Amino acid sequence: MRVATDIGGTFTDLVCLKFDKKLGKVTDIKVSKTDTTPSNFEEGILNAISKSKLNLNEVDFFVHGTTVVINALTERKGAKTALITTKGFRDVLEIARCNRPDLFNFNFIKQPPFVPRYLRFEVDERMNYKGEIVTELNLDNLENIAKVCKEEKVEALAICLLHAYKNPENEIKLIQKLKLLLPEIEIIASHEITREWREYERSSTTVLSGYVLPIAKKYLNKLEANLKRNGLSKIPYIMQSNGGITTINDVKSNPITMVESGPASGVFGAIALGKVIDKKNLIVLDIGGTTAKCALIENGQVKITTNYKIDHSRTQAGYPIQTPVIDIVEIGNGGGSIAWIDTGGKMHVGPKSAGAIPGPAAYGRGGKNLTTTDANIILGRIHPDYFLGGELKPDYRSIHAASKSLCNALNTSKEAIAKGIIRVANANMTNALKLISVNKGYDPRDFSMVVIGGGGAMHGADLARELQVSELIVPLHAGVFSAFGMLMSDLRRDLIRTNVIALVDKTKIIIQAVFKEMRNDAIEKYKADGFSEALIKFTYYTDLRYAGQEHYVKVELPNFSKDTPLDEIINNFHTLHKKQYSFSLEAQVELVNFHLIAEVKVDKPDFPKLKNTGKKIEEALFGNQDVDFDDLGKHNTIFYNRELLEPNMRIKGPAVIAEKATTTLVTPVQQLKVDMYGNLIITMK
Amino acid sequence: MEQFTLEIIQDTLIAAGDEMFKTLERTSMSPIIYESLDYAVGITNSKGELLAQGNGITAFLAALDSVVCSTLEKYSGDNSLQKGDVIITNTPYAGGGTHLSDVSVIYPVFYKEELIAFTVNKAHWTELGGTYPGSVSTVATEIFQEGLHFPFIKIKSMGKINQSIIDMIKVNVRLPDSTLGDLYAGIAAAEIGAKRVINIIEKYGLETYKKAGISFLNYGERVSLEALKTIPNGIYEGNSTIEDNGFGEGPFPIKAKITITDKELIVDFNGSHPQVKGAVNLSFNGLVTGCRSIFKAITTPQMDANGGAFRPLKVLCNPGTIVSAESPAAVSIYYETLVTSIDLIWKILAPLIPDKLPAGHLRSVCATFISGVHPDTNQFYIQAEPLAGGWGASNSHDGNRGQLSCGSGESYNIPVEIREMRYGIQVEQYAFHNEGGGYGEYQGGNGQYVDYKILSDGANLTAAFLGEKTKTWGMNGGHDGSYNYFKIIRKNGIEERHSLGTNIYLEKGDIVRCVTATGGGYGKPEDRPIEQILLDIKNGYITKKQAEKAYKITL
Repeated sequence: MRVATDIGGTFTDLVCLKFDKKLGKVTDIKVSKTDTTPSNFEEGILNAISKSKLNLNEVDFFVHGTTVVINALTERKGAKTALITTKGFRDVLEIARCNRPDLFNFNFIKQPPFVPRYLRFEVDERMNYKGEIVTELNLDNLENIAKVCKEEKVEALAICLLHAYKNPENEIKLIQKLKLLLPEIEIIASHEITREWREYERSSTTVLSGYVLPIAKKYLNKLEANLKRNGLSKIPYIMQSNGGITTINDVKSNPITMVESGPASGVFGAIALGKVIDKKNLIVLDIGGTTAKCALIENGQVKITTNYKIDHSRTQAGYPIQTPVIDIVEIGNGGGSIAWIDTGGKMHVGPKSAGAIPGPAAYGRGGKNLTTTDANIILGRIHPDYFLGGELKPDYRSIHAASKSLCNALNTSKEAIAKGIIRVANANMTNALKLISVNKGYDPRDFSMVVIGGGGAMHGADLARELQVSELIVPLHAGVFSAFGMLMSDLRRDLIRTNVIALVDKTKIIIQAVFKEMRNDAIEKYKADGFSEALIKFTYYTDLRYAGQEHYVKVELPNFSKDTPLDEIINNFHTLHKKQYSFSLEAQVELVNFHLIAEVKVDKPDFPKLKNTGKKIEEALFGNQDVDFDDLGKHNTIFYNRELLEPNMRIKGPAVIAEKATTTLVTPVQQLKVDMYGNLIITMK
Repeated sequence: MEQFTLEIIQDTLIAAGDEMFKTLERTSMSPIIYESLDYAVGITNSKGELLAQGNGITAFLAALDSVVCSTLEKYSGDNSLQKGDVIITNTPYAGGGTHLSDVSVIYPVFYKEELIAFTVNKAHWTELGGTYPGSVSTVATEIFQEGLHFPFIKIKSMGKINQSIIDMIKVNVRLPDSTLGDLYAGIAAAEIGAKRVINIIEKYGLETYKKAGISFLNYGERVSLEALKTIPNGIYEGNSTIEDNGFGEGPFPIKAKITITDKELIVDFNGSHPQVKGAVNLSFNGLVTGCRSIFKAITTPQMDANGGAFRPLKVLCNPGTIVSAESPAAVSIYYETLVTSIDLIWKILAPLIPDKLPAGHLRSVCATFISGVHPDTNQFYIQAEPLAGGWGASNSHDGNRGQLSCGSGESYNIPVEIREMRYGIQVEQYAFHNEGGGYGEYQGGNGQYVDYKILSDGANLTAAFLGEKTKTWGMNGGHDGSYNYFKIIRKNGIEERHSLGTNIYLEKGDIVRCVTATGGGYGKPEDRPIEQILLDIKNGYITKKQAEKAYKITL
């Protein structure tokens, strides 16, 4: 039995696959949703386990994704953290990058640093950019620093020295000494988390890692003990932001890698699904209550970046975390996004959301603003019996009241407003989807679009038309797809190192040496977790640019070995640069970062197939009503119950497929087919 | 329902602007473009009215639409633009003009033989030749000393690149790869924007597209007018000075008279000093840009830039002053006068709208240009960058620390670790200072010290830090802040203090200390809570001695 649990902002999801070990076939799937318990997250998991009547003794594989890290960060509930830097540079953390994203707001308020100035200490030492020691490390000051840390009840200490990405020698010495002086507190140094340059970004990463370290460790320890007590004999795995899993022990030393694990697992679920149905080029769209997230998968691979930031927006710089995170674009558009009109009479949707409380006007819980969900109800796209999993009837009077001010301001009908909201929301999402596709040189026609989350299937049909993707896929269990994705993920480590060199023959030896060092590093870490070298699969990437440029293009080195010709790498770079930016140059090519992916495959069951019991499509039909398809007109539309659909059934649009967690729209120009895994495949007629 | 479609077209144009912006950033060869983001991109209609603009800095707000208008003046009638033409210009005295370093790329977009739009960008190229590295000088007396001048010329003619111009650029600049790289990046960005405009027209039709443009401009005007109504009507006056022209002469007065009604905001700079010897002159177009950025700050800071939004703004000034300079005035450090002009309007209006405008900030770009030969690679380098300092406090919060001047925006500092690899410089400290000032109920943000140690003989420094004799201003009882200046600390211990300097010779081991000002305070110091003062002392933002004196507390 294999179990995945995923803690989200509102719900904790659980997916359990029972399977026949000999055949590798899934024999039963259990899915459950329970409320997230923010004060005590592991309780939510235990609730979910008992609700599904699982016996942990029988579980062979347990994987877990959690928001504990991102919550501690965004709600500022982490540890009291101090920082040690090179002499002269303790203010780097506060000066940050000096930018003002809200550039015409002269009354801008800059986000404060996570460590106040009185807890930012300096040690005398200096490394130059080549990693050579210019000033020897002086440890005299440490006892004093330790004393202040104790007095101030510091719980975590971060260390980030200049050029430590190149040579961590002094950081290592500092850690050794400080662990003796301060045995009770968590101490973490930059080189343990990131080996990339840029001192502010690295300091911020180290500080935030320290900030979440005590709380995450405590949580993981409690979880581990509780699971063990309840009968789990296997070591639990934890989902990371790079889309891979790792052991609970490994993640305890560097918990910041969990920061975006939720969205990552949804995307990796889509990749796993794509492998099974032989679709390697995917655009994944996950629409939740407050935001929509999207990612592009090319040839079964999603890009990993380290340009991640928390609390970042169009008006705020945010706080960088240089940890490998899958490349996701997120916008403030979800089911709960509020429609509003500015002083110039223009209607906007989001980024403000009605959230779960009071929620959209349709909830009848006092929501006074019209949201995207309300607009979908006005247009007849959501069946009243299937609203909120059938637990609630839409409050039409509340919707009417909420639409009034918009109708008056624009002097138009409720229906026109609703259509407007959907158009604006779809346009926002289209722009985000173009950002990851067209703007990067990809043609959406070469891609299938996978929609997940509560709102994905509702908007997918219109967006698929707009982008002209080849087909739209609404997976089975789209509502708990993140948990599903975890069961399909492998162990994965992304190692990234800055080491700037020209790509010329005489530097080939450096490329070999750096990758070798990184390989050994990965092998050692896997060995500590009990995996032998033979199990590890390596993939090699480099970040390349033209000498003089700052930004780079990620280039894979397929079948990399010591014989790989440089010309091949350089030519690939020219091609990719041209694809993304429409030109290439004859200039010198420079390597900036080495990126090594080390994966260990986990033994996984096949993707479960949906049984065919010979049901007729008429059995799934449960009603009809007028649905407004905007530019495609208003049509009397048949509603189907998804739980009663079976493989190979075909439905012509217009149609609506309702299920507990979501609703799928099929416009009059589209058609639907159920595949053998129960996925809905929607294409143009 | 058409209204929603028109709004979606506008948003799509803005998204296209964002895409052009990213393209230029990611492909450019000049740190001043990819770190300082000293550039802007935009889309105008066929008449040059601004429909979308992506900005890295605040200072190019009048640069894109007016440069298209001037292009249209030159290329009209028999000489009109053809499909595939691309224009470049850097003329300071015509539309779009600032200084020669800022080069505009203008790309006419045709749909079925009809000129329907322009995509345009303007970016600070690190090197354009001239007397000194970086094409900036505080002692230039005529524009001819400031680098190559492109007077609205065709870099591409009907799709074909003009190789003669490329060849000429190549031999006239100090870093030809970087300069030409920036040119290609500018063309690539404009091309992508043009492609997106065509996509929009193909999807929605030309008529709807044109309608969307008109509707967007009117929308911008409406939003501005609504905001204008919240500012008290009246006539307000003030003056400021440019302290020095680079030759030890000055100060030179700048005057502004502002008239505000519910329908318009008029800024009259007549009475300002005539244009001067030296490079601190600002062209009239530069002045308009400055006025637009402060106008936007007080009316529509969060709205996407839009030509219609500026219709209620009028800027008046007769030609030939220090803020409306004419050929052949030198203008390479125009940005100091630009920031001073913005600051003047800011200071006049702040008491009327304290929720939008805080007390005075560092008021100088504090740009440094250090050139030399890298000790490891033996390659020539130019390090050009603006510096951060303290901002003023407002009626609701303390001033920000570590922020670039109002002339910058989404601009970044250069990381020490990147800087030390690229240039022959070692940074000795990057820290807040305690030079005092800015006391008040809300405290002004600390200025900072940045120390550069020079690692090879024969480096040179050019820099302009105005505010060496004038403190940043406090407001409503808050104290003034401190000064901007830079110091050379010679190997032998001798120190030299400067405000402006060109090609100052530096030897290995010399230190350049850049000092940026602390921002002005807001409100009376006696109204600041004691716990806050104690915390400031604990954090070292102020010293005990300063606290005792300014806040009259005994510790």
